[in-house]
Amino acid sequence: MTDTARQTLLRSLPASFETGPEWLRSLRARAADALREQGLPSKKTEAWRFTPVRSVVDAEFARAPGDAPALGSDVPEGVRARSLRAVLGSEPELLEGRLELAGPPEHFAALNTALFSDGLWIDVPAGTVVETPIEVTHAVARAGVSYPRVLVTTGESAELTIIETYTGAASDGLTNSVVELDLGPNAKVSHVRVHENAGMQVGRVDVRQAADSRYQSTVVTLGGALHRFDVRALLQGKGAECQLDGAYLVEGEDHVDHHTLVEHQAPYCRSDQTYRGIASGKGTTVFDGIVVVHRDAQKTEAHQENRNLLLSENATVHTKPHLEIDADDVVCSHGATVGSLDDDQLFYLRARGIPEDLAHAMLTFAFLESIVDRVRHEPTRARMREALLARIPHGDEIREVT
Amino acid sequence: MLKIEDLHVEVEGKPILKGISLEVAAGEVHAIMGPNGSGKSTLAYVLAGREGYEVTKGSITYKGEDLLEMVPEARAAEGIFLGFQYPVAIPGVSNIYFLKAALNAIRKHRGQDPLDAIDFMKLSKEKAAIVQLPDELTKRSVNDGFSGGEKKRNEIFQMALLEPSLAVLDETDSGLDIDALKVVAQGVNALRGPERAMLVITHYQRLLDHIVPDVVHVLIDGRIVRTGDKNLAKQLEREGYSEVRDAPSL
Ligand SMILES: Nc1ncnc2c1ncn2[C@@H]1O[C@H](COP(=O)(O)OP(=O)(O)OP(=O)(O)O)[C@@H](O)[C@H]1O
Ligand SMILES: [Mg+2]
Repeated sequence: MTDTARQTLLRSLPASFETGPEWLRSLRARAADALREQGLPSKKTEAWRFTPVRSVVDAEFARAPGDAPALGSDVPEGVRARSLRAVLGSEPELLEGRLELAGPPEHFAALNTALFSDGLWIDVPAGTVVETPIEVTHAVARAGVSYPRVLVTTGESAELTIIETYTGAASDGLTNSVVELDLGPNAKVSHVRVHENAGMQVGRVDVRQAADSRYQSTVVTLGGALHRFDVRALLQGKGAECQLDGAYLVEGEDHVDHHTLVEHQAPYCRSDQTYRGIASGKGTTVFDGIVVVHRDAQKTEAHQENRNLLLSENATVHTKPHLEIDADDVVCSHGATVGSLDDDQLFYLRARGIPEDLAHAMLTFAFLESIVDRVRHEPTRARMREALLARIPHGDEIREVT
Repeated sequence: MLKIEDLHVEVEGKPILKGISLEVAAGEVHAIMGPNGSGKSTLAYVLAGREGYEVTKGSITYKGEDLLEMVPEARAAEGIFLGFQYPVAIPGVSNIYFLKAALNAIRKHRGQDPLDAIDFMKLSKEKAAIVQLPDELTKRSVNDGFSGGEKKRNEIFQMALLEPSLAVLDETDSGLDIDALKVVAQGVNALRGPERAMLVITHYQRLLDHIVPDVVHVLIDGRIVRTGDKNLAKQLEREGYSEVRDAPSL
């Protein structure tokens, strides 16, 4: 058992939960009990081996006011976006059973479950196709801890693009977010996340997919004192597909950790993961991806790739893609590389007159941009490129020529 | 324009060039021929400034300056262009955008204002037309998925755009069909002028039918064993390298 006594972050757990519907109070109490019992991860926790979790759990945080993310733009027609707090107040039965993360909550997700005060529920009814993305911004205004919570539900054959942006300059703030997505049969959701807050962030994305649904996630993580993201996609219905892509970049003493888990629980599902990272300065990146293929998930196709550029001697890259396969009729692949920029390419650019540092930046940008290019919605793609350019050396010059 | 004196070069401790001397004046075209592995590409890379080629002896003077002191991009800015024997593909970096960055870096070095997008596109269209490089290829990632011949055409397109003073073309003819060869030769000839010089590396006389050289050098085992006029290339074609090497010098 973990020594939870030193985990300062847990001190904010109340002894009992007095507000909200009965099912929510019970859900929160179970989460709190589990936390008191098991604690948050410690440095001995395998899944946190490479990420200094103590700097999060043992730190003293004030509660930052307001967990509710802002809706960045006008809510597109066809989407219902409501405050979780409001729905829990007026029609709590609509949310019963939908904030449970498909299983007993653990660790930071449990903490969020116990403590979130507000959030968003985004719902697209069956048959509704929404072209315009809905934008959600989580701005971390000042130091302190916040617990953003988002629930996305889509009915049969509904289509939605959601863009989440996490921003904030406070390096000592902590954001502990949970986003749950429930995709109905044949629903299609494109989910873009841009993480550009300087502080600490722990985030969980939990996706449950019915038959023939399609989930596409594109994550761009631009540094951060300590960022840890867990994406879990459960392919529960036959023929569901998920595509998880990520581009990340560390410099200075940034620490970025992406964990993915894709569970093929039904036959004829496909999953495809491509994560690309750049480690410079004294930064550290972690990628840990698991694909689990259950016994009944025949005809599974699953691919997973993590490529890294290690650009400095003082930077560190950890990568561990792996597969656990219990079915026999499957096509799976996985791979990881850690390398440096290609000398032949660098020389080619320089031999044409491009200064060395700009040539470096161009190749670095191209490496990450290939991930952003997979986003189909053009204005979104452009915004993500901008976010990358803002962070890459010589971004202005690269923008100039592209 | 270019003066190479007693150049010795090693790669990974292995001597490749063993005392090359060569002088190319403005307005001249020199051809370098020689068997596989004789050091032709090595010479080209040393001129362009590639790392890993250690000059153990000798010197290279270009426009009166010590070329070996300059980084590759400075050489390009001073007007040296290398047409690669094996152009590398650079996925994700668009041909046209990279060239714009290159041209503007070179212009900056010369104290000229950068070209804006419109002027650049105009120029690029004009130059692509010279080597009949389809528009689609100019926009694609650098050499990514290009056929062998398309890559070579792309090299000449880039040369036409950058207008170098000294072009070093390393087997630009290999992999080209007969029509493409003519197109590429036209591109090269269009650039010939009293201010420019060229070093054309080739295995075949047929390129030299189109790009007629002033001087032909035969490079064998890291040394220039023969130097002559365009007829030397014809003799090589007839008799092969061993005959020419063993024949008494002209
Ligand atoms: N990086 C390297 N490491 C070791 N040897 C090398 C390296 N690069 C070139 N060499 C050797 O140097 C010699 C000259 O090579 P170079 O490429 O200059 O020949 P070349 O005349 O251009 O041949 P080809 O006609 O086949 O293009 C060869 O023996 C080659 O194997
Ligand atoms: Mg060669």
